Amino acid sequence: MNNSRIWSIVIFAAAVLIFGLSWIIIGSQAGHNLTDAFLVTVAAFLTLSILSFLYKDNPYYKFAEHLFVGVSAAYWMSVGFWSTFVGNLLPRISPSLCTYFGVPYKGFDIFFFIPLILGVFLLMRLSSKMGWLSRWSLAFIVGTTAGLNLIRYLRSDFISQVSNTFVPLVTDWRGIGPFFSDFSLSITGQFAMSLSNWVIFVGVFCGLIYFFFSKEHKGAFGYASRMGIWVLMITFGASFGYTVMGRVSLLVGRLTFLFHDWLGLVK
Amino acid sequence: MKFKIMILGCLLLALALPALAQDSVKTVEASAIPAISPPAPATNVTAMDSPNDNGHSLTLRWTLSADDGAGQKTVLGYKFLRSFFPDSGFVLREGMAPSGSSEYVDMGGRKPDDRDFMPNDTDYYYIVRAITADSNVYSDSPVIGPVKAVGQLYNVGRTLVLVFVLCFAAITIFFIRRARKGAKLFVRRLAGIEAVDEAIGRATEMGKPILYVLGLGTAADIATIASFTILGRVAKKVAEYQTGLIVPCYDAIVMTVAQETVRTAYLDAGRPDAYNDDMVYYVTSNQFAYVAAVNGTMLRQLPATNIYMGTFYAESLLLAETGALAGSVQISGTDQVAQIPFFVVACDYTLIGEELYAASAYLSREPILLGSLKAQDYGKAAIIVISILGIIASQFRWNWFLELFKAGN
Amino acid sequence: MKRQVPLMLVFTLALVMIVQYFVPNDFSLDTNEFLLKWIIIIGIFAMALGIWSLIRVSYEKIRRRVPGWQYPIATLLGLAAMIVFGFDYGRHFYTQEGLENYMFIHLFQYIIIPIQATMFSLLAFYIASAAYRAFRARSVLATVLLLAALIVMLRFNPYLGTFGVYLEKTTSWLLNVPNLAAKRAIIIGLGLGAVATALKVMLGIERAYLGRD
Repeated sequence: MNNSRIWSIVIFAAAVLIFGLSWIIIGSQAGHNLTDAFLVTVAAFLTLSILSFLYKDNPYYKFAEHLFVGVSAAYWMSVGFWSTFVGNLLPRISPSLCTYFGVPYKGFDIFFFIPLILGVFLLMRLSSKMGWLSRWSLAFIVGTTAGLNLIRYLRSDFISQVSNTFVPLVTDWRGIGPFFSDFSLSITGQFAMSLSNWVIFVGVFCGLIYFFFSKEHKGAFGYASRMGIWVLMITFGASFGYTVMGRVSLLVGRLTFLFHDWLGLVK
Repeated sequence: MKFKIMILGCLLLALALPALAQDSVKTVEASAIPAISPPAPATNVTAMDSPNDNGHSLTLRWTLSADDGAGQKTVLGYKFLRSFFPDSGFVLREGMAPSGSSEYVDMGGRKPDDRDFMPNDTDYYYIVRAITADSNVYSDSPVIGPVKAVGQLYNVGRTLVLVFVLCFAAITIFFIRRARKGAKLFVRRLAGIEAVDEAIGRATEMGKPILYVLGLGTAADIATIASFTILGRVAKKVAEYQTGLIVPCYDAIVMTVAQETVRTAYLDAGRPDAYNDDMVYYVTSNQFAYVAAVNGTMLRQLPATNIYMGTFYAESLLLAETGALAGSVQISGTDQVAQIPFFVVACDYTLIGEELYAASAYLSREPILLGSLKAQDYGKAAIIVISILGIIASQFRWNWFLELFKAGN
Repeated sequence: MKRQVPLMLVFTLALVMIVQYFVPNDFSLDTNEFLLKWIIIIGIFAMALGIWSLIRVSYEKIRRRVPGWQYPIATLLGLAAMIVFGFDYGRHFYTQEGLENYMFIHLFQYIIIPIQATMFSLLAFYIASAAYRAFRARSVLATVLLLAALIVMLRFNPYLGTFGVYLEKTTSWLLNVPNLAAKRAIIIGLGLGAVATALKVMLGIERAYLGRD
């Protein structure tokens, strides 16, 4: 037996011992029974298995990963089946299936046969002869949502972003007036505001220039585009830095589970 | 247990409320506080169909009661009574308008089984009631009506969007037609995309596969559709070079479409026999289970190149970092602005925002697709011009111009 | 027929959805509602294809005894257990009642939730290693990114004293001004790109998704 095999047996034995003990100890505590002690232990085991990936890929991680995939895929399948298929489709097409599944029948609606047929077309993929029918279903989905998204992007992202750019570059400007009497500049107030508006305008302008594809980025155009990518990079840096703290708090949450819920070390 | 007690408590409270209310009325009567005299009614009441909607809604307007904010100042607000007949059957509606307001939209349900269904094309009559602190003291406006709720055929408020759609579609079609006629179009270098070819070559030399991740988007997301096109090009090259391709999918429809795309690419490359459906497979629709599986694949199959194109969320960094640790060359592109920084940090090449949409045109070099890039550029130029106009408008307070761009909802 | 019908479907439906947006009446709303509901229903059938793919790929690995073939057994067992508990034959069904099965909920709570949360928390480590990667970056642009990130990350550091206050002010300026500008440029670009792509799909120019015979 080589060294790594011995090590893996030792680690396996230790894992069995630790989690076995944990099961018995938690189960024997007041307010717990063996079933929920088992489940908490499983959760802790899976948590540690996933964390072990940080060290390297290992059998525990592989096990947790594969189990996770199977369970979660079936989870979504079940949720979809009950809420959409049984909940939305059946009550419109078949009284007898409704009785079988115990859902209230909502009255026959011929329109619900369309998705049913398209759904069956989709399943035709599995047959080599009728597979082309599945494209009808795909065309249905893609067509509908392409139309929907075309409008959605214009409406929500686009027009509001454009109209938000409409800010005066000299804020609180009341005209020059005789001897500039109406026009005051304070470093913190109007000046800073105007400066920010300028930066926003120049930033948006150069950013858009960067995204020009059909023009060579040379000369003045090139400078603007270069400026644009700088603004983009500053932004990416800032939002990267901003997210760090949020991610650390997620880890704290997991450690709390291990030390509080499982081991009970932290109250 | 606590929950049950709370519910019981609430029930008791609900039972007690009417009694309490009656008590207070009695005390008011008993102590004989000087009664409020009825306020002046709302005048000039008009009722009309609410514009730009599907009906089931009417808009009432009136001139404030003389005692609203002036005179006796006793008006607390306005309530509304509705009937199907001009002389009887008036029922108080649920909502109210606070004092000082002179408009109210009375909205009902859309479908017969909706709560408070309000059918279209039916005559309605209204009374506007000015109310005071004393629920018995109020004054009613004359009956107004009949008025019908109607669904409109066009939403005027969305004209701006319509103009944009039409203009942009026209420009796009114009450039596509021009490109079809053979006009030469320049497209600037996109480092991320040029890297794709190189990366496939490298994978072939190393004898390692290429991992293509379509992200968490559905087949309906535009970013995913753009990604399908890129996948098609990548798969074709992969087939030509006889490299391996792995496409784990998060969404079942995306998987179906991706299978079709890759199969076609292999067909185009003249190697249909090399394709099998297991190259493009479904994993699960759970975000982190998907990440766990893809991360595992990265470390076990050690792909030479990982390509991430599509819609990504928090998993972007988990995937890209694992890939970087495994030593793969990584190319990414996403429409999710918040995830771009992570890709920029962890990947060798990142297509930023719109570059993702340009990539398919760039990869294919098909004039038609390049034509649409030109249209996008004209769109950006138009935006720059409009922004400058808008800035001038807001500087000099040309409100009509600013209003134009606020209408879109 | 195999090629033309799907393209016509795409064009017609996309047009219907666009027109629908500008027409506010009941018929238009109903159309929208129906189409979106149908897509969800079709999605369930696609899900069946997905599960089939997962089963087949796992089974193939086991059958061919590829390295690590034992693990897909866990996938298949998890899948089978969850589907069986999800359907809950013992009880009588009502809409979601299958999902109220004791074991179904427990598998969700003690397998899916903890793994999900742990995977998510791994981000804390990954972001650290990504930051380290950024440190080693040699290009000017990467340095710009790193500097901005550093300013934002160090803003709450108590050891920096007054300097920290400046960092905090710079951070809020960075997030409110250049950040806003760059995001706006990206979003406008994305909007145009998305609309152009949607148009290309509608006109049948972009049709990789339909495949070919």
